[in-house]
Order: sequence, then C-alpha cells, then structure tokens
Amino acid sequence: MFKDLDPILHSQLRLAAISILISVKEAEFTFIKEQTKATAGNLSVQLNKLKEAGYIEITKQFKNNYPLTVCKITAQGISAFEEYVKALRSYMPDDNK
Amino acid sequence: MKEPEYNKEEAPTHQQSLDLINEMISKAKKSYTSKGIASMVWGSLITFCGLVNWVEIHFKKDFGDVWLLTLVALVPQIYFSIKEKRSKNFIAHNEIAANYIWIAFTLCMFITSFYFSYFIRGNVAPLIMMLFGIPTFIIGGMTNFKPMILGGVFCWAMSIVSMHTSAEIDVLLMAACGLFAWLIPGIILWRRHKKSMVAHV
Repeated sequence: MFKDLDPILHSQLRLAAISILISVKEAEFTFIKEQTKATAGNLSVQLNKLKEAGYIEITKQFKNNYPLTVCKITAQGISAFEEYVKALRSYMPDDNK
Repeated sequence: MKEPEYNKEEAPTHQQSLDLINEMISKAKKSYTSKGIASMVWGSLITFCGLVNWVEIHFKKDFGDVWLLTLVALVPQIYFSIKEKRSKNFIAHNEIAANYIWIAFTLCMFITSFYFSYFIRGNVAPLIMMLFGIPTFIIGGMTNFKPMILGGVFCWAMSIVSMHTSAEIDVLLMAACGLFAWLIPGIILWRRHKKSMVAHV
C-alpha cells in the first residue's frame, strides 16, 4: 500500500537540507548553502519551515563578531526523514528498494 | 557539467527525491574527508623516533629520550586541531567519535608509558604496538579506509612479533608501525584531498 509523503519534506530544497543535516551532527547555514547551491533568501525561508515543523533546530551565535546560524536535525526530524524514505520506497518498483 | 540548484519550491518525483537524498548525503560525506596531515605528522614522528632509538641502541649512543618528542608534538597538534575546527562550517558525526578515540588512545599511551617507566621494568613494546593498532583499525573501519584498517592489523602483527624480539628490533618494528599505520595512509589521504581540490577548480 502506498504511504502519504510528508509535504514538509517533499520539496527539493527542504529535502536537500534535511538530507545534509541527517549526515552531520550540525551545520552552519553557509555549509548548507554551499552544498545545495541555493540562494540565501530561499534557503532561509525553507529552513524556517523545517524549524516550524520541529524537524530542525536553528541557533544564532556569534563567531569573530559575525552572526552565525547553526542548524541541527531534531529527533522528530530524524523520524520524519526515516518515514519519508520508507514511504518513498513504497512507491518504487521492487528492484529500487 | 552545471550543478543543479534547488531554488524552486517544486515537488520532486519519487525517483528525483531518492536521487537528491543520495546526492546530498554523499556530498556531505565527501566534505569531511581528512586531509591526512595529522596522520602524516604522527607517522613521520613515530618512524623517526623508532629509527633514532635504533641508532642509539645499535651504536651505543645516547641522544636522550627521543620519544619525548611525541609530547612536544602534541602542542602543534592541539593548535592545528582547534584552528581547523574554527575554520569548518559543520561538525560530522564521525569526527566526534574519532576525537574521543584519539583522546582515549593518547591517555592510554601515557598511562602505559608511565607505568612501565616507574613501576615495572619490562618489554613495553608489544603493549604500545597493540595500542597503536586500536584507533587505527577503528577509524579505518569507521571511514571505510582500507590502508588504515590494514595499518591497524599490521600494528597487532608487529605487537605479536615483538614478544619474541630484542629491544633493538622492537624499536624498528615501532618505526614500521608508524610508517604503515599512519605515514603511508596519511600520504594517501593527502593525495586524495589534493586530487579532490583540483577536481573542484
């Protein structure tokens, strides 16, 4: 049976960002921007959507007097990502599973 | 080839989603490959100390305790680790585990050396080479880097061999451990890093 895909994760940039955050303990905004090649404005909007859903934590700090945004996936984000991958795989033909 | 941008807020197809997940995870993984500098520094140092110690024993010379250089080398190691940490814009899971492993290894090395220097006099070489093998093998396995896995196994083999050899041979075996467990894997990592830098230009 096909499972519903989480609409929060089923968007290119949000999925790209959460996939990066699941691979690391935490990442600065600039790292996610470099990896996704997204614009700062769009990335900021999408990260905020992930934060509102409780999937990531965003902390603002200072490094050498410059503002620094650090993102970290939450336990809720990890299980949502796992569920999303599971649901995605249910749509794929058997040889892709 | 132009790299994809993810600026559009459009829903990907199922296959695109899976490809995107794979691509991002592999990109993030590639970002935390080691440059191999620490491995090269420590590999050269252990090899150097082993060889100098061999010269001391073989030619009956006394240059002082050459192994104390490992203590001196800790200072630049800590400095460069902090500097590298500050310049990076992410923290990898593997990195934290690896740091704890190296701290545990360093403490065990000092406790073992201290114990054998002040409490019991005996052949410490098998124990030291056994300790060399532990972080090398684990980190090699964690990062799926075969030269380090083999380096760890090599240290354990040398540890067994050193149970039957004289102190003069033991220090040569330690030099060999430094060479095969750290220096050569470090050079391989450095060359890989250089290659990946060229590929990104």
